Amino acid sequence: MGSSLPQKEANLFKVIVKSYETKQYKKGLKAADAILRKFPEHGETLSMKGLTLNCMDRKSEAYELVRRGLKNDLKSHVCWHVYGLLYRSDREYREAIKCYRNALKIDPDNIEILRDLSLLQAQMRDLTGFIETRQQLLTLKPNHRMNWIGFAVSHHLSSNVSKAIEILEAYEGTLEDDYPPDNERYEHGEMLLYKISLLEECGLLEKALEEMQKKEAKIVDKLAYKEQMASILVKLGFLEEGEKVYRSLLFMNSDNYRYFIGLQKCLGLYSENGQYTSDEIERLDALYKSLKEQYSWSSAVKRIPLDYLEGDKFWEAADCYVRPLLTKGVPSLFSDLSPLYDHSGKASILEELLLQLEDSIRMTGSFPGRTQKEPPSTLMWTLLLVSQHYDRRGQHDIALAKLDEAIEHTPTAIDLYSVKGRILKHAGDLAAAASLADEARSMDLADRYLNSECVMRMLQADQVGLAERTAVLFTKDGDQHNNLHDMQCMWYELASGESYFRQGDLGRALKKFLAVEKHYADMTEDQFDFHSYCLRKMTLRAYVSMLKFQDKLHSHEYFHRAAAGAIRCYMKLHDSPIKATTEEGDEMSKLPPSQRKKLRQKQKKAEARAKKEAEEKTEEEAFSGTSKPGKRQHTRPVDLDPHGEKLLQVEDPLLEATKYLKLLQNNSASSLATHILSFELNMRKQKILLAFQAVKQLLKLDENNPDCHRCLIRFFDKVSSFPAPVTDSEILIRNVLEAELPKISQLHGRSLVEVNQSFLEKHKDSLMHRAAAAEMLLVLEPEKKLEAIKLIEDSTNKLAPVNGALGPVREWKLEDCIAVHKLLETVFIDEDAASRWKARCVEYFPYSTYFGGCRSSAVAFSVNHNIQNAPENGVLAYQEAKSEESHSLNGKLHAFKDLTI
Amino acid sequence: MGMISLDGVRDKNVMQLKKLNTALFPVRYNDKYYADALSSGEFTKLAYYNDICVGSIACRLEKKEGGAIRVYIMTLGVLAPYRGLGIGTKLLTHVLDLCAKQNISEIYLHVQTNNDDAIAFYNKFEFEITDTIQNYYTNITPSDCHVLSQVIAQNHRKK
Repeated sequence: MGSSLPQKEANLFKVIVKSYETKQYKKGLKAADAILRKFPEHGETLSMKGLTLNCMDRKSEAYELVRRGLKNDLKSHVCWHVYGLLYRSDREYREAIKCYRNALKIDPDNIEILRDLSLLQAQMRDLTGFIETRQQLLTLKPNHRMNWIGFAVSHHLSSNVSKAIEILEAYEGTLEDDYPPDNERYEHGEMLLYKISLLEECGLLEKALEEMQKKEAKIVDKLAYKEQMASILVKLGFLEEGEKVYRSLLFMNSDNYRYFIGLQKCLGLYSENGQYTSDEIERLDALYKSLKEQYSWSSAVKRIPLDYLEGDKFWEAADCYVRPLLTKGVPSLFSDLSPLYDHSGKASILEELLLQLEDSIRMTGSFPGRTQKEPPSTLMWTLLLVSQHYDRRGQHDIALAKLDEAIEHTPTAIDLYSVKGRILKHAGDLAAAASLADEARSMDLADRYLNSECVMRMLQADQVGLAERTAVLFTKDGDQHNNLHDMQCMWYELASGESYFRQGDLGRALKKFLAVEKHYADMTEDQFDFHSYCLRKMTLRAYVSMLKFQDKLHSHEYFHRAAAGAIRCYMKLHDSPIKATTEEGDEMSKLPPSQRKKLRQKQKKAEARAKKEAEEKTEEEAFSGTSKPGKRQHTRPVDLDPHGEKLLQVEDPLLEATKYLKLLQNNSASSLATHILSFELNMRKQKILLAFQAVKQLLKLDENNPDCHRCLIRFFDKVSSFPAPVTDSEILIRNVLEAELPKISQLHGRSLVEVNQSFLEKHKDSLMHRAAAAEMLLVLEPEKKLEAIKLIEDSTNKLAPVNGALGPVREWKLEDCIAVHKLLETVFIDEDAASRWKARCVEYFPYSTYFGGCRSSAVAFSVNHNIQNAPENGVLAYQEAKSEESHSLNGKLHAFKDLTI
Repeated sequence: MGMISLDGVRDKNVMQLKKLNTALFPVRYNDKYYADALSSGEFTKLAYYNDICVGSIACRLEKKEGGAIRVYIMTLGVLAPYRGLGIGTKLLTHVLDLCAKQNISEIYLHVQTNNDDAIAFYNKFEFEITDTIQNYYTNITPSDCHVLSQVIAQNHRKK
């Protein structure tokens, strides 16, 4: 480095490099300028100056200098390396790899460059390249631990596990017997555990076990050791030993469900689906009874039996389980019990049990069969639990009545208001739900959870502005949006985007959805630092599992929702293109052309000015920030498109949508929604074969799903309307379809009308299937519209088989009924049928604001003109505005009080 | 059987006090009441029973001529289901102790003339009826009130 310079300047060059490494950029800049005064075209100095400026946020100068430096000294590996580093800092990894490779052509054994290259290859999952580079590094520096480990990991990542083990063993062979020294015991132990997990992974279980026994003393993480040991013993079928290990693990932590499952497996008492014979249940019961004696403080040991017990025994266990928790007051008790509701038998027992408890406490103040008085709060907690029970069973009126009683009893218990909001949401009154959540929030303004829940409810009720103002109360600096974005607050961005979408504001919706997509891209970026860190720190098991997590990062639900949302926005944009999106646009269309041009120029100027100002601002801050390096990271470019208007001005919305569809297809292939979106998108793009693929996928996933049926019928109806194929590609498509057709069993020898008919026959008791069949009947035979509507209207809302003790539950779901109403309104375009449907549903869903139910806030508010009034102790303010004149609010006036005015 | 604890009133939880007052008293208190309560500091307290807020005492500190301070109890109340557990006593003794510590010699309050339970309660703590005001209340009957007060001896209750 710094070659071809005289001694003095060569020393100065070393100063630049040193300053860069120690982040003393000003010093480095001075040294660079000193060299350049004498040798203005010295390539490596120019490059290093550019790299230094890059760290001082002077990007454009940096690129210019680095490129000039390279041009002046194409044979310098330093210049190429610097160019690579510059690209790497801008996350242009492919370009960076190219630069590194050029540098290595000049200096093939440069360790630093090889190491930097290997990090990029790991990041880009260029596994072949990664192995090569790691091998080179090991050959060059075999005395470095990290090089052995890196080489092993590279083989593991490309699924060559046995090779990875070989390398680790070869590495162990280079070590002295007394290895490791005290300060490296942890790292060495991690390496051993990693090796053992590799042995387990490739099925060499005996060897893994042997290794564990041999190396026990050298493994520092005793917990991980035991867990690994237990897992291997079970796989080998050494159940007795396994049992011992699991029992000792339970001794360390008696609330870890995995240990209980492990122990059950060792005893032959575990079934994946939770089904047990009566003999097994008895043995399980005995097991947990003895465990309960040993670990009386464990809550898992009390909760698990509720999963396998049945009948009277379940009743007894549930009774014992809930009583102390009701006395203590555990707001999360219902969500703890909630999984039990999947067995309808247990749900009914719980109902009886809870009602009995409620009754006893109300009448005697004690639990049944007890004389000890419960604290007054027990009644309130019991009422809460009973209320949540009825909510879960869909009996919202009873749920709300119980909850109102609890609020009357203790109007200061915040959980009651949150739960009431949740029930109202389930019952279909989103505005009232938001207002209850807000009331809960107001009772403890320091509680972030209550704030978040309230924001969520407001977004669900499409009160986006209010939600934003509420969320801001908890974000730092009151810097609202940007800050939620920085915190990667995705639930907020998704709910907000979905609300904007419902309200037809596609720009803002897209903005939010794309923000979520950006977070996932950032998470992919975030792994970069770990490639070197984890190898150095030897946290290999965590490292590899992090890489595997990253590989399927985009299959996460939040990403799925964001991508689906973005695709829907783009399709809507395609279906009804927006001509003038902004208010200015509307104004513009009214103006004569000459003025329009002027206005447009003016707008452009204003935009450019704003952009320039923003850039200047960041630059200024960057300069003033150099003395305080910590601060510089906080500056950010001003958002030039806060409302997402520019996002709407894409050339081809469907092309944009395709980008996100591909991510969904690669990462969420087992989701119906993915293929339904693919169908919709490809039908719009006239990509017949791709649409057909979507149909095939859908039929494979669930041929009985109403939406899958819709896609099937719509696809073949569309195909049959095509004119005879003329061009080569049309003929090709026709041929492919004809070849594929026999594979679609639904269509064998039947017309589409018949297919639709038999689908209806098969699912004639289900509302959503009938609606799908009706809609397809309309597609196939538009003249049979009335018959199709009759199909929908003839559906009956039966009583659900679960039979509540306090009243019947019907089968239809609110969201389904709303979907049917929208179908009648927008697809059948039949006002009368839609209003008949509405009149019918309003009976079933009295709390629904959509149907204008008699108990919904939509009706209550319009009668009382009183939306602004804050709710009063959980009762939405239907009364007139209160003043000092108003009398009893909660009915309890006297006794033990004094007053003043 | 239950844990009773006291906590101060702040901007962040003042709604709890409002909820209690709504449930307990037939009067809607104005902003001044809450401002007085917040500025009285330790003299206004919420009582928690098993971590649920179930009662409160709210006081106003008044300057007498000559600069001495006296305490006026604006409200004291406990939710009906939680009465008889010593929560009211705990709230009142807290304030009386505080008066003693800060050498405040006078504490008083108003009570509706027919509220025998309350009068008996305060009698237990050495409050006496020192005055009766006709037509004190405008919207509830009876509209008269007693003034209950106590002169706290210096160094009394001092630890």
